[in-house]
Amino acid sequence: MLERYDGAMRREIRLWIVATSAIGLATLCVVSWLSYRSTRELIDANQRLAQVHKLIEDLTTLHVVLDDAESSCRGYALSGKTEYLQPYDAALTQLDVRVQVLRHDLVPDVNRTRQFQELEQLIQARLQVMRELVEARQTGGFDAAVRVVQSDRGKKLTDEIRQRISAMQTEERNDLLDRERDSRQQARTTTVAVGLTSVFGIALLVTAALVIYRVARESERAHIALHNAERIQRTILNSANYGMISTDTKGAILTVNAAAEKWLQYPSTDLVGSNVSKLHDEDELRARADQLTRAMGMPVPGDFRALVTKAKYGVADEIDCTYVRKDGTRFPVSLSVTALRSEAEDLSGYLMITTDLSERRAIEKMKDEFVSVVSHELRTPLTSIKGALGLLSGGVTGQLPAAAEKMLRLALNNTDRLTRLVNDILDFERLESGQIAMETQESDTAQLMRESAESVQVIAQGEGVSIVLGPVALPVKVDPSRIVQALVNLLGNAIKFSPPGGRVEFGAERNSSSVVFRIKDQGRGIPKDKLETIFERFQQVDASDSREKGGTGLGLAICRSIVQQHGGRVWAESELGRGSTFYVQLPLAEPAPQVTT
Amino acid sequence: MSKTVLVIDDDRDIREVAKVTLELVGGFTVLTAESGSRGLLVAQEAKPDAIILDLMMPEMDGQETLAQLKRDPGTACIPVIMLTAKVHAQKHDLIARGSAAGILLKPFDAMLLSKQVCEMLGWGLSAKDEGVGDSAAR
Repeated sequence: MLERYDGAMRREIRLWIVATSAIGLATLCVVSWLSYRSTRELIDANQRLAQVHKLIEDLTTLHVVLDDAESSCRGYALSGKTEYLQPYDAALTQLDVRVQVLRHDLVPDVNRTRQFQELEQLIQARLQVMRELVEARQTGGFDAAVRVVQSDRGKKLTDEIRQRISAMQTEERNDLLDRERDSRQQARTTTVAVGLTSVFGIALLVTAALVIYRVARESERAHIALHNAERIQRTILNSANYGMISTDTKGAILTVNAAAEKWLQYPSTDLVGSNVSKLHDEDELRARADQLTRAMGMPVPGDFRALVTKAKYGVADEIDCTYVRKDGTRFPVSLSVTALRSEAEDLSGYLMITTDLSERRAIEKMKDEFVSVVSHELRTPLTSIKGALGLLSGGVTGQLPAAAEKMLRLALNNTDRLTRLVNDILDFERLESGQIAMETQESDTAQLMRESAESVQVIAQGEGVSIVLGPVALPVKVDPSRIVQALVNLLGNAIKFSPPGGRVEFGAERNSSSVVFRIKDQGRGIPKDKLETIFERFQQVDASDSREKGGTGLGLAICRSIVQQHGGRVWAESELGRGSTFYVQLPLAEPAPQVTT
Repeated sequence: MSKTVLVIDDDRDIREVAKVTLELVGGFTVLTAESGSRGLLVAQEAKPDAIILDLMMPEMDGQETLAQLKRDPGTACIPVIMLTAKVHAQKHDLIARGSAAGILLKPFDAMLLSKQVCEMLGWGLSAKDEGVGDSAAR
């Protein structure tokens, strides 16, 4: 039992650990993913920030280089000195590099690409104007250069380039601000999600810890309770006045309680592990094995299997047998064997519970002796008294005066009554103690009824009562002499309580698988509250009945005992002042058609 | 000549009652013995026609006495009726073994004892009539 409880506890703890681990792992995955995503976005945002800064710087640098080229070009146009063209050439070279850098750093989306292309076109157009100015100064002199300048194309292109660069820088800055705002929002969301997930994970861990703690505490309490229960159980087993021995399926002893140890005079250490058959009388085991072999139609060896075979096949088994003590002395026991099975109904061993019958046997012997003594010692003087009175009353010793004869008759009647009482007491005692075995045989109910009626015919005539017999022939398996004894008893009562000239009806009928005898009188009847108690010992309807009617107060008790030992029952129905009907129900031997003779 | 019946019983009163009724009602010649051992001697000497033997006696009980009677060729053929207060015990056993000719239960009806003995021994009406007739004649 303890192991089963432990198993349940362990399963519960295991379940919690698995569930907590799974959910914790899932939580960790979510947190990790959120953290990764957040970090990734942060890195992306930083890269983008650097990119935007670089782009803004590229645009600024481009503007500066363009301004340098313009200044150099303008200086050459005004002075005509070729040294002014050196910065111009350098700026043109650098301008080309800056355009390439800008193209590289530019985020490749449609709008920016378009803006860049337009800016590049403007720059190319501006460079063309600068080249025209230089060519005009070289070929046409100062005036030609002034004409180119006065055309205002260069100024317009420069203004437009400045505006474009400024617009692109503004757009990049705005885009950067948007991205920063989105990143912050994303970071806040991630922080909340990670926070919530972490809180959930922590709560789960705390709950799991609490549950495991609770389960462990319950397990500990249950352990203590079970250990206590086990200790109490062991104490009960050891203080019980029953011998209890458990064995495995091979008959090897596993446990022995204190009573068995004491009775058998073996310490349990000597018994545990040895075969239970060593506690039994060998001849008895062999005899039982033979008996089982015949009864079960299968070979049963004369060892411990003679004790457990019936229990093994699920048949309740209780036998009287002999135990052998360590010193070889023997004592009678009543042995009950139960098969022990696992939850899966597999045979795991046997439990043998024994009762020491020594005392009971001694009491039975004393009782037998007492009954024998009572039987002899009471009947012996009764024999002399009854014999002597009978001889006097029979006139063997000569004629007596009428008054003396009357007294003799009185004495003789009471001697008979005392004889009946002694007989009934002994009879009842033997019936109740099972000392009288019912010698059952196939019998015919009609025959039993006739025999019973004939037995009381003389008494009935003496009382002026007629018996109306309606015999019914049905087969019963009974001890005929005992059933006749019971029926005679009931008929005798019916006659005794019938008024002179009265009638006793004695019939029977089949009732399903039983026969019911019916004895109906026209007597004074029995009160309802006495209908049950009259079948008890010395329980008569009226205390004076035993004196007036000569009953012993045991007739109905004997009658009931006989009928019950045949698996039947007896009962009475009555109406005060109108008579009583006694019923005796007995099981039929086999179904048979009802025939009235 | 009337039949001789030996009554063996340790109770003097029962011996007396049995003797009176068997003699006066049955017309038998009655011998008595107060113990099993004494009964064996009387039986060997007198060779009675029947023995009424109490089952429960001190020292040598009825069963042992019966066994010795049956072992002795001189008394083995004498029919023995057991007299017992034990209604059920041994009854069937004794009759089944054929050792006893019948069982008489205590207390017996003194006026019917002779008739019961005749019926058990199959002496029939002639024996009884003879006995009763003798008794009546005396």
